[in-house]
Amino acid sequence: MVFQLLIGGMVALICGLDRVAILQILVSRPIVAAPLAGVLLGEPLIGLQIGVMVELLWLARLPVGAAVPPDDTQVAVAATVLSIVLGSQLEGLSTELMLLSLLIALPVGKVGQYFEHRARNYNSILPVRTDQALQDEFFGQVQLLHLRGLLSFAVSSLLTYLTIVVCGLVLIPPIWPWLQISMSYSAGLLQLALPLIGVAVILGTINVSRAITLFCASFGMAFLLMWLVQP
Amino acid sequence: MRLGWRTRLHVWLRLLFLQASWSYQRMQGLGFLFALMPGLRKIYPEEKMREVSMRHVGYFNTHPYLAPLVAGAVLKLEEERAINGEDRSIDIDDFKEIVAAPYAAIGDALFWGGLRPLAAGIALFFAVKGIIWAPLIFLVLFNLLPLWFRIVFFEYGYRHGIGSVDYIQQHNLPDWAIRIKEAAVVILGGLCAFLVFSHLVDHQLPSWPGLLTLLPMVLLGLGARRGLSTLLLIFITCASIIIAGIFWVDVASFLKL
Repeated sequence: MVFQLLIGGMVALICGLDRVAILQILVSRPIVAAPLAGVLLGEPLIGLQIGVMVELLWLARLPVGAAVPPDDTQVAVAATVLSIVLGSQLEGLSTELMLLSLLIALPVGKVGQYFEHRARNYNSILPVRTDQALQDEFFGQVQLLHLRGLLSFAVSSLLTYLTIVVCGLVLIPPIWPWLQISMSYSAGLLQLALPLIGVAVILGTINVSRAITLFCASFGMAFLLMWLVQP
Repeated sequence: MRLGWRTRLHVWLRLLFLQASWSYQRMQGLGFLFALMPGLRKIYPEEKMREVSMRHVGYFNTHPYLAPLVAGAVLKLEEERAINGEDRSIDIDDFKEIVAAPYAAIGDALFWGGLRPLAAGIALFFAVKGIIWAPLIFLVLFNLLPLWFRIVFFEYGYRHGIGSVDYIQQHNLPDWAIRIKEAAVVILGGLCAFLVFSHLVDHQLPSWPGLLTLLPMVLLGLGARRGLSTLLLIFITCASIIIAGIFWVDVASFLKL
């Protein structure tokens, strides 16, 4: 288990840094981060399923200026790790267990915003020290101070990941027997509902004047076409 | 002196770390200086570096994919200033201040608001079909345009300095952002129809009631527009489904299903 958690932590760290601090090539998106964790832990399809469900949820929350969107990266990575780790400990890996891991990870993931705020606040000391280093003409130190900012983002990512994983490991085993049966009846609908909620939120917040008209037309046309060609 | 390609590449690579020290106080300010340093060191003698660096370490914030355009233009302006000896320090600071906010708005709308949902929508079609390469498809679809912006705009900014602003105007990027957002909405509509239809077919249910999904989706969208948080919408929907699942257990056992 420790080895699996460490691999998850490594993915959480790399993808967490991509969110804000470096590159921003979007390996931090759940559709990439969760399958990556899944592949490394030997269950790529679990990662892919979690990625599909989480990807659209907070896509409408843009990282604009000082705004800190919910940490969907760590939610996706931690939910994947939890599903795989608990799957080997409980009664085998199942869609229901994956969904329960995700439903625990989603609210706990809110701590990610708090940790990221703290990281950005902590980084506020860096410009002050940079001013001093520039006064003293220590240009090498200026560059090191900038790179030191990576540390706070890395700590923030890892703390978010660890909080979700620890909460999941503590909460899921005792509640699993109680929810297992009802989850088996609702799993299909839950899997469908999460991406639809994400799209609904995008529709409500996207700045396009005819968004609902376009969406309904596209939905209706695609649906009717599939119905027509259905054997 | 004109900066060589190695120095420009060095600056460009450092721009990938632009937000490493992002802070509420100066946002990307320190990162911008970090990126420019190899160029500034070539342009100015060591004794002038303190003065020049102090000018660039202040508040700065723009979209990370359009920052290379600003950085390229700033390097050009610094170069002109060093060669001509004229005091353009106010112009350079003003230039950064004037372009940073509009570029940020354009970048946010184009990349975060438009391209990201579009690429995600397309990649999710592959993902729901169980194609394991879906993440790679997302990365390629999304990154082609930003990478082009980061490379080409940096060079253009360096070649044209202040004139690079015209380049952005010529490309009419805000219009492109709206078109990409509209395309994203259409793709997401098709994706949702596919998800609902597949669910109904998999569970051997009649497919036509799937069209009714539009109603709760539009209601949820209106809820989000009125400020309801995504987490609250998830909680309400999932709790309803799980509670329905619990009652379904009783109904099923009563009916001996």
